[in-house]
Amino acid sequence: MSLRDWLKNGWLIEHQTSTQEIEDLLSVADRDLDNCQTAGLSPDWKLNIAYNAALLMATAAPAAAGYRATRDAHHYRVIQSLAYTIKADARLITQLDGFRKKRNISDYERAGVVSDQEVKEMVILAENLRASVIKWLRTNYPKLLQE
Amino acid sequence: MTTVTKKGTIVPIMGTITESYNLSAALFGKTRRAVLSLLYSHADESFYLRQIARFSGTGHGAIQRELKHLSAAGIIRRTVRGKQVYYQANPECPIFTELRSFVAKTSGIGDILRSALSPLVDKISIALIYGSVAHGSEYQSSDVDILVVGEVTFAEVVERLGPAQETLGREINPTVYPPAEFKSKIAKGHHFLKAVLSGSKIYLIGDEHELARLVEKRLAD
Repeated sequence: MSLRDWLKNGWLIEHQTSTQEIEDLLSVADRDLDNCQTAGLSPDWKLNIAYNAALLMATAAPAAAGYRATRDAHHYRVIQSLAYTIKADARLITQLDGFRKKRNISDYERAGVVSDQEVKEMVILAENLRASVIKWLRTNYPKLLQE
Repeated sequence: MTTVTKKGTIVPIMGTITESYNLSAALFGKTRRAVLSLLYSHADESFYLRQIARFSGTGHGAIQRELKHLSAAGIIRRTVRGKQVYYQANPECPIFTELRSFVAKTSGIGDILRSALSPLVDKISIALIYGSVAHGSEYQSSDVDILVVGEVTFAEVVERLGPAQETLGREINPTVYPPAEFKSKIAKGHHFLKAVLSGSKIYLIGDEHELARLVEKRLAD
């Protein structure tokens, strides 16, 4: 499997990115990584913000390679595509996908399904993903980074 | 219309998993069933006595007797590494393939999940199913909600539950609490945890006594 195969399957569409778009994705991810640690927020909400940061980082990678995920199962595809962009290991993908599902469970009765420890794990994951994506961009698409 | 059957057969759970009536329970006693279920669902891994006892919820004596019988029959393999004795499914047993298939086909949801979490058994104090599956009001497609209390990470738990999710064809949603956070949130009257503890549960690891100990310890602190 490769991103080209995904394109043939209709899971991705071709996309022309720009330095500005990559910069915007990274800066919003940074903002979210900062905001998710705001004291007083509920664990559910912190997890949501940290997850958003990770998803933006994960979106920047296929965008740099000339693709974006279609709307159908968008988050799922973006997460799975990390195997073909930054060569993320199966464990990271399983963990991030687990958080994607957890984030979808947000009705009142289950408002406490997120523990503080899970928030910490999600934040560490998002920070590690940020470092991996930037390293990958620097190696493969240095012109897209404003450094 | 084409009907696609799911891999394996899921026997409906009535009441708690220990009360569930299934093929395996009709054929084997509790201890033998637990040993075969653990060793033959993780045929490439080996386990030591304490892990097997904790998994089966049976005393060490009963487990030891069972392990002795099964080893003598060549159904499982006993190996000594250092000071530790390990037990594993014996791939040279003439009915190895059949036993593996038997375990896969006769396991209920609780057995499948308990087995999936078994490599983490030393680090988990309590693991239980709550929500619609636990009180028997679930639909075929209902998610399986699990609460895990232990020194494990969410990553470790989702990684272990991944294959079980494939087997069951259902989403599994774990929530993982370290014991200290669990105790502290219970003491503060955390809504979600209180609702889980007062509702129907199917224990996968640990039991109500262990749960009571975990909660009371905090209250006594």
